[in-house]
Amino acid sequence: MSEKVLLVDDEKEFLEIMSERMEARGMTVKTADSADQALAMLEKESFDAIVMDFKMPGMDGIQALKNIKSQKPELQIILLTGYATVEKTVEAMKIGATDLLEKPADLESLAATIKQAKADKMLVVEKKTEEKIKDILQRFGG
Amino acid sequence: MADNNRYMDMDGTAFFGAVSAAVTHDMKNFLAIINENAGLLGDLAVNAQNRSLPIDPQKAGRISEKIRNQVARADTMMKLFNRFSHSMDHAEETVDVEEMVHLVAGLAARIIRHHGVCLTVTPAPVPCRMKAYRFGVLHLIFRVVETACTILDNVAAKTQKQIMVSFGMDPKVPEICVTLDPVPAPGWVALFDDCPKDRDLLDQVNMVVKKNNTGNGFCLYRIQPDHAYLSAEPKRQ
Repeated sequence: MSEKVLLVDDEKEFLEIMSERMEARGMTVKTADSADQALAMLEKESFDAIVMDFKMPGMDGIQALKNIKSQKPELQIILLTGYATVEKTVEAMKIGATDLLEKPADLESLAATIKQAKADKMLVVEKKTEEKIKDILQRFGG
Repeated sequence: MADNNRYMDMDGTAFFGAVSAAVTHDMKNFLAIINENAGLLGDLAVNAQNRSLPIDPQKAGRISEKIRNQVARADTMMKLFNRFSHSMDHAEETVDVEEMVHLVAGLAARIIRHHGVCLTVTPAPVPCRMKAYRFGVLHLIFRVVETACTILDNVAAKTQKQIMVSFGMDPKVPEICVTLDPVPAPGWVALFDDCPKDRDLLDQVNMVVKKNNTGNGFCLYRIQPDHAYLSAEPKRQ
């Protein structure tokens, strides 16, 4: 099954070309040009991963990451950035970013990261389901 | 040159850093788009080879045009950045303030956009020139724009926010007027010279600030006309 990705960047031309290239590699891609729009889309749809520019107009990248993680903790977020300082990378990873790639990114590496992100998301979801079952069994099974 | 070196303190360096960060971020974005377009051309070639079909010339032409557009954007940005980098080359000289406002608007476009603000510059009715350090004038205008953006940050995000820069009518008294739309809440006091560092910047170029008559912005103007300023003793050592 193909990976469903939400691509978020304020450069509309970048969104257009990236989504075309990602779709050519079998992914299903939706786009948003701001973190606010991405958050609104996440309320209605589920994705395997988000590929998001770290610095966009409006909501700050760290804040956007926090908001998305609080809304969808299992969602894998790959950050794309024009510049990647060690401090920002560490901060983003602490909040729960899956990976941080520098622009211009190699699409094959990005595709591999997305594939891995989907597998990681499945593991998180499976683990959560197992925990829920365990909890139910403990409560009702004695 | 000793006076010029005063700008090479931490604030001047921080300003240079902020502009460089914004410009290099823009450059990375241009490169990313060029990179993806080049990748798209590569994809076209691979597809054509796999299917033994010719490359769609219209599509290849469109991609090539997109690459050219990004190269033009990057070239414009690099020219602006080069002019900015050379702003420290000279001591006090005659500076075209309108030109400096356009330079800052181009260099800080990304920062302005991040505040959700649109900046427009009304052409000066008369030449707006003054004797000053170019780098100092750029720094001052940058801070003016940054302050105006910060004031507008308090306005609801979905409102269209605008900063309009215009110039005075008297060529002997250089004046930069900043109008904000929407008008900040009644009682706003965030005049540009609230911060001591900004007051220092104003001193460097011998300007003062006042709220405008309609209460929707502020104006910076030269304390004395240039001829008087040039013959006066330096304000600070």
